[in-house]
Amino acid sequence: MIVNTNIKIQTHSLCFYYYKQKVLRDISLQLPANKITAITGPSGSGKSTLLMAFNRLWEEIEGCKISGNVFMNLNGQNTNIYAPALPVLELRRKVGMVFQQPNPLPMSISKNIAFPLRLAHISNKNLISDSVEASLRKVSLWEEVKDRLNDDARLLSGGQQQRLCLARALVLSPEVLLLDEPTSSLDPEASAAIEELLLSLKTKCTLVMVSHYQDQIQRIADRHVKVLNGQCSINHRQA
Amino acid sequence: MRKLVETCITAFSWIALFLLIAALFTLIAYLVQKGASSIELGLFFGDTSPLDALMLKRQVFDGLFPAIAGTLFLIIGSMLIAIPIGVAGGVYLAEYCRGKMKPLFNLTFDILAGVPSIVVGLAGLLLTIVLNRHFPGQIAPCLLLSCCCLALLVLPYLIRTTQTALESIDPLIRKTAPALGASRLQNITQVLLPHSINDIVSGIILATGRCAEDTAVIMLTGVVATAGFPRSLFGQYEALPFYIYYISSQYTGPDELAQGFGAAIILLLLCIGLLALALWIQRRFTSFLLFR
Repeated sequence: MIVNTNIKIQTHSLCFYYYKQKVLRDISLQLPANKITAITGPSGSGKSTLLMAFNRLWEEIEGCKISGNVFMNLNGQNTNIYAPALPVLELRRKVGMVFQQPNPLPMSISKNIAFPLRLAHISNKNLISDSVEASLRKVSLWEEVKDRLNDDARLLSGGQQQRLCLARALVLSPEVLLLDEPTSSLDPEASAAIEELLLSLKTKCTLVMVSHYQDQIQRIADRHVKVLNGQCSINHRQA
Repeated sequence: MRKLVETCITAFSWIALFLLIAALFTLIAYLVQKGASSIELGLFFGDTSPLDALMLKRQVFDGLFPAIAGTLFLIIGSMLIAIPIGVAGGVYLAEYCRGKMKPLFNLTFDILAGVPSIVVGLAGLLLTIVLNRHFPGQIAPCLLLSCCCLALLVLPYLIRTTQTALESIDPLIRKTAPALGASRLQNITQVLLPHSINDIVSGIILATGRCAEDTAVIMLTGVVATAGFPRSLFGQYEALPFYIYYISSQYTGPDELAQGFGAAIILLLLCIGLLALALWIQRRFTSFLLFR
């Protein structure tokens, strides 16, 4: 195994099955660290499935099965994320995910951001409030919501909600951020704000983004992976 | 032609709704007309002074107070047994049960839901008989036995409503917490159950009503016409539905019949009160669970 610190994620002949259907076929990829990789392809081609293979979220869905390997450079070590000894909850704290639809939980803004900390059994109140503020600042939401942190998060606008979800995914300082069409439910202005944020996050983590928009990929992606019928092809772009 | 069909369907829907509401109000009006005259303090406490009766200093033998207390204890007891088991069963079916066992369990609970209450009562009676063989003279039909049997009667409803509520949660919400590092148990307790608490409480309300009105089960497992205020889980007790049933078949004069109607009004009011309480808890509970 060649260990290259510039490679964050490697897949080796990854296959994915949903019941008897083969969704992904024999995918071998190398995704660079601290870059934005865009994944595109027609609907139902397995883009979101590929994302879920990186944080093992498919394990929550009945009827899914996987073969092959995924290696990820976590804590500076090349780790097989499907190794039985690897705790899946730890993996998901290192590999954050943001979905197509903003999905704030029905609680206050600050509690939404603090939710992953609570799940990780962190109870130090100062630490929590500091992390909440830092996360909200990272997504430039702090100034907009600092006076109403206790308001229901579902009252925010769509763009704000999506930034809130991004902040929530960032609160545990993940090394990899998976984004499943993060801007497709937003208007152009809110999308532009998210795109700018994603560019600024490159220094801290590796981003893998499913996108439908060619112009968005042109603007922010460093690398472009096309998925077609469960198979991949890679376009290198000069960033 | 299509328009005619549409008009007919609309008219039919309206008539159905009207009939239903008319039936409800006719029933209530009839009950009030027959029973309202009997509703006074004497109906509740008979000749005993209300204060003495409420402080449990003296037993009430010719009033409804013991029956009301008995019915309340029945509801509380059976719900204390049924809610934890029912919700846990629903969670198991929706979140943990996979593969071939699931249809089997579904079928089992459907069968259990279809068991008539008199059969559940008989099963309870049989249980006492069997237990009596092993512990002679110690086991008799009692409040606890009735609670257990009523819990068994309403369990399928609770399991089903919990299961359906959990299974109908949006897949996106289902994935939210696991993607943030939640274990399956954390996801269930902190996201999925709070999300479905409204539906679950609706199921509990239905089950409460079933416990309040059921007569067949308690008739075979411990209710009697005169027992006084229930003092122990292992004693016999009075209950409103049984009182109504008993009076309707054994009344000796118009006064007693009016008391029976009075008891029916009280049972109705008790159910309405419980419903209001449940709705209040439903509102408080949701915010408590989600916004803590």
